Amino acid sequence: MKDQQGTIDINNLWFSYEKDHPVLRGVNLSIKNQERFGIIGPSGAGKSTLLLHLNGLLQGKGEVKIGDREVKKDTVPEIRSRVGMVFQNPDDQLFNPTVEEDIAFGPLNMGLKPDEVKLRIKEALKEMRLEGFEKKASHHLSYGERKRVALATVLAMRPQIIAFDEPFSNLDPSMVEQLLHIIKELPATVVIVSQEIIPVVACCDKVAVLKEGKIVTTGPSYEVAKDKEMLRSCSLDFSIYESVCKKLFS
Amino acid sequence: MKHDYLDKYSRLDSFVHRVDPRAKLICFFLAVAAVVSEPRGDITGFPFYYLLIFMLLAASRIPVVFVLKRCLIASPFIVMAAGVLPLSYVLSPSTSSLSPDVMLFHSLSILLKAYAAVILLTLLASTEKFHCLLNGLQKLKFPPILGIMSALMYRYIFILNDEMLRTARARKSRTPGKSRISRFRIYGNQAALIFLRAKKRAQDVYNAMLSRGFKGDFPEYNGLRWRIQDGLFSLVFLALYTGVRFGL
Repeated sequence: MKDQQGTIDINNLWFSYEKDHPVLRGVNLSIKNQERFGIIGPSGAGKSTLLLHLNGLLQGKGEVKIGDREVKKDTVPEIRSRVGMVFQNPDDQLFNPTVEEDIAFGPLNMGLKPDEVKLRIKEALKEMRLEGFEKKASHHLSYGERKRVALATVLAMRPQIIAFDEPFSNLDPSMVEQLLHIIKELPATVVIVSQEIIPVVACCDKVAVLKEGKIVTTGPSYEVAKDKEMLRSCSLDFSIYESVCKKLFS
Repeated sequence: MKHDYLDKYSRLDSFVHRVDPRAKLICFFLAVAAVVSEPRGDITGFPFYYLLIFMLLAASRIPVVFVLKRCLIASPFIVMAAGVLPLSYVLSPSTSSLSPDVMLFHSLSILLKAYAAVILLTLLASTEKFHCLLNGLQKLKFPPILGIMSALMYRYIFILNDEMLRTARARKSRTPGKSRISRFRIYGNQAALIFLRAKKRAQDVYNAMLSRGFKGDFPEYNGLRWRIQDGLFSLVFLALYTGVRFGL
């Protein structure tokens, strides 16, 4: 049963911020336990909105199931301990005076004992290669370090699912590589929403393309990335990178 | 972005910084009460109050210039209150017969009380991290809603500040030299934009908090410990202030 707690099932999900302007239009998705799943799409496609449904931060019409639990008002506290969210801007996620206290925030909210919290802080920092950062103030760190601290705050909660919103934005290439490596090693189901196809393809087993609130296609990441016609129709054409790479390595 | 302008010196290390936040809260608030409750026009106790305050200030190693700047911010309100008082005495039939000397001393006592309170509160905010003060308030059984509101306000002030810096940078980069368009219109647009953006970011921050199980209260990580030194500090501090207040 525990193996199924990292699965995600979304059935006919509809959501709108304003009446008669649905952002999500009947989304259906099925993500397996421990899978690395990417959701790509152009700006305004509804990617972040979809992601917020996984954690119960938004609740639309339709069904969202995390493991054996449907996301509903009464299951939200449990769902939030199962699904960790890493937001696009780490500054939104870090609000405590020190890294240590920021990482402790989630586990303390889960009602864990201080010794267990300390252990989790240590482990999360080690996983993010941030040992020795405990007493540092988050706002004194570099952007890449803040991103890793933001991920550590989620890892300390030991979620079965980790959802990333635009994790590769504003990162230098070496940091992207580091993050890809970290994502591959995470002991959880990973969902990434991004506009950047290449890093998503590099770390995800499967990819779904979202356009105007609808899933256009779902499939193994390299197969989806090969469908240039479909990507072009979704404003996700990356042939410019392809031609640069060809010139570079020919 | 600059993120520690409110409790800028709270990371210094001095014996005042090391005192338990609960002790500081009790002492500083009672000190403010002692100063404020001095009879109107009686300024004999103030040299002692200020001596104690400046001794604390020196011990805390907080730069005097910083404290004076804080006083300067409060000055328009304090000076206005002290300046308006004689006028209200003159206009009121029951007090219009008071001599100018009495009125002057009344105004002076308002000035002295207000500045003492401002310096004491600056000292309190600068010798303790904000979240520890909130923790102290919580332990002293202040209504939790006050603590949560203060904590959220403290968090959102930085967001407003961030957005203000961003929009100011964008405005400056596109207004080389003197702007021909009415500056007030630009400032008005900028203010509106700041609030709209800050609202969006505040929602993002709140979502991030909710996603990590925030239920309306901030869990305590490093518990407070009351030591003998904290008790001694409180005793001496309160004895001195009540001594001056009641002329012992």
